[in-house]
Amino acid sequence: MPQDVSIGLLYSVTGTYGAIGKDAQDGALLAVEEINGDPASAVRFTVFSEDPGGNIEQYHRSAGTMLRENGCRHVIGTITSIGRKEIIPAIEKHDALLWYVLPWEGFEACENVIYTGAAPNQHILPLFAHMLARYGNRVYLTGSNYVWGWEVNRIARELVAATGGEILGERYLPLDDTDVDRMIAEIERKRPDFILNNLIGTSSYAFLKAYHRLAERDPDFRAEHRPVTSCDLTECELAEIGAEAAAGHLCSAVYFEKLDSPLNRRFRQKVTARFGAGRPLSTFLVAGYEAIHMLAQAIAAAGTDEIGPVKEALFARTFETAMGPITIDEKTNHASLTPYLGRINAELGFDIIDSAGSAVVADPYLVDFNPRGFAETVAAQARQKSGGYLKVIK
Amino acid sequence: MTGFRTPNFRDRHAIILHKPGDTIDRLVRQLERLGMKTDVHWPDFPADGSYADVIFFDADNAFDELFPWAPGAAPMPLVALLGSELPGRLEWAMRQGVSSHVVKPVQSSGVFSALVIAFANFEAARETQRLIDALTARLDGRPAVIRAVVALMAACGIDDTAAYARIRSAAMARRVTVEDFCATLDPGAIDRLFADQVNPRKQTR
Repeated sequence: MPQDVSIGLLYSVTGTYGAIGKDAQDGALLAVEEINGDPASAVRFTVFSEDPGGNIEQYHRSAGTMLRENGCRHVIGTITSIGRKEIIPAIEKHDALLWYVLPWEGFEACENVIYTGAAPNQHILPLFAHMLARYGNRVYLTGSNYVWGWEVNRIARELVAATGGEILGERYLPLDDTDVDRMIAEIERKRPDFILNNLIGTSSYAFLKAYHRLAERDPDFRAEHRPVTSCDLTECELAEIGAEAAAGHLCSAVYFEKLDSPLNRRFRQKVTARFGAGRPLSTFLVAGYEAIHMLAQAIAAAGTDEIGPVKEALFARTFETAMGPITIDEKTNHASLTPYLGRINAELGFDIIDSAGSAVVADPYLVDFNPRGFAETVAAQARQKSGGYLKVIK
Repeated sequence: MTGFRTPNFRDRHAIILHKPGDTIDRLVRQLERLGMKTDVHWPDFPADGSYADVIFFDADNAFDELFPWAPGAAPMPLVALLGSELPGRLEWAMRQGVSSHVVKPVQSSGVFSALVIAFANFEAARETQRLIDALTARLDGRPAVIRAVVALMAACGIDDTAAYARIRSAAMARRVTVEDFCATLDPGAIDRLFADQVNPRKQTR
C-alpha cells in the first residue's frame, strides 16, 4: 500500500513572473503524475495547488490553507525571495518543509527550507570567473529594482573590485518597465567589456532587443565582442526575445536543455510526451520535477512525511537527476549543483561552453569566498585560455 | 552603491553564555553555517574567555558579575539573547553596552544581521572612544600650549597667530602633537629653541 501524502504547490502561474511559475509547476505536476501512476511507488501524492498571481499578500493566506486545512507538511513553491520570506514564518510555525527551487541571491539558510536552486557561488561566481578572464574587467550592471538585482550586482561589484576592474555603470528599472533607452545610451558611450543583466521578464526582453539594435548600428556591440550575461535567463523565455536579439549572449545555470546525459534525454522524452515537442526544457521545469522526485524518494526511505526523518533521508543520499547528481548539504539545506555556462544559439537554445566539471557545494553566505583567491583564479584562467584577454586579439 | 564588502565571520569565535537547549542548538548551527566556532557556557564565564571575538548572552537571566569586566567595558561585541522585554532586563543589557540583539526563540533568520550590526556598532563605538581619548588628551594639554604661545609672543614680539604657527611647525618637525611638544617646554626652552627668531631688543631688556 502506497503512503498517501498531501503536498502544496504554491506557484504564481499568472502575473508578472507567471511563465516561470508555470514551468516550475508543470515540472512538479509531471513528477506527481509519474509517481502516482507507478504501481511500484511507495508514495501517492495528493496535490493542493494555489495561484497567488504574484500578489504578495496572497502567499501567506495560501500557505496557511495548505498547512492548516489541507494537512500539507511539504510545500513546493515561491518564485521570488519576497514570496519565500513571506511564508517562512508559517512554514516554521507548522514545522513544515518548503522546497525552493529557484536560483537566488543567498544569505539565508532556514532549517525548514530545502534550497535546490543555485546560490551565488553556483551562478555569479563561476560566470564572472569565466567572463573577467576572457572579456576584461570593465563591466556594466543592470537590474530590476528589487533584492535579486541589487544583491547579485553587489556581489558582482565585489568580484570586479577583487580583480582591479571597474564598474562603468549600474542602473535599475522598476518591474515591467521597458524604458531601456538611457541604459543603452550609457552602454554605447562607456563601451563596457561585458554587461551583467539582472533585469527580469519584459524589462529584460526589451533590453536585449534594444541592445541588438545598438549592435546593428555599431558591430562593436555584437554578442561576440561585448556580450550580455545573466544568471536567470532560461529556455522558456528565449522565444519572447527572438533568436536575432538573443543569440550569442551568455547565461550561467545549473541546467541546460542540451545537457548530454541519459537521464536528461529521458526527461526530454517525458516532457515531449506530456507537453508536446515544442516545449522548451528550462531549469525551472526540471527543478520542479526533480524536487518532487527527491521528496518522494526521501519519504519512501523515511517511511513517513514527517520532516525530521525526511530531511535525514535527504541528507543521506545522492540523487541521480536530469541536472546531474545532487546531494543536499546537511549544514545548509542547500543542493550541491554543477554550474554551466551557456551561449544562446540561433535555435533558441543554449550551447554549453563551460562547466565546473563537478557538483559545487552551496555557500549561501559566501563564507568560503576569498577575493584574492578569486582574482588568482581569474588571472590563471586568463593566462591559460588565451595568453591574455580576448580583447587583445580582437 | 558603496564598496560594502560581504561580511565574513569564518573562523571567528563566539562564546554563548546561556543554558543549553533547542534554541541554543539552533544558534550554534546557524553560527557554524557562517563558518564560526562556538562554545556554550552557563553560568560561569570561562576563565580563558578572552579569545572570543563576540559574546552572545542570556539577557533574561544574566546577573551582575557575569562578565569579568566593568559594565560597558566589554573588549568584544556583546549580543543580547532577548526573551523577556521587561524594562529592567533591557536596562541591564544596555548597561553592558550591547552591540545588537537576537530575539528568542532563535530562528535561522536574524543571526547573520545581528552579527553584522554588532561588529559594525562595536567598531564604530571603539572608533568614537579613540577620538574622545585623543581629544581629551589635547584638551588636557591646552594650558601648556597657552603658556608656550604667551611666552613666544613675549620673547619674539609677535601676535598669537604667528606664535602658534611657529610652535606648530616646530612640533611637526619633531613629529609630535602641539600639545606634547608644549608639555616638554621648560621656562628656558623658548629662548633656546627659537633663538634665531627671538626679538633681540626684547632679549637685552
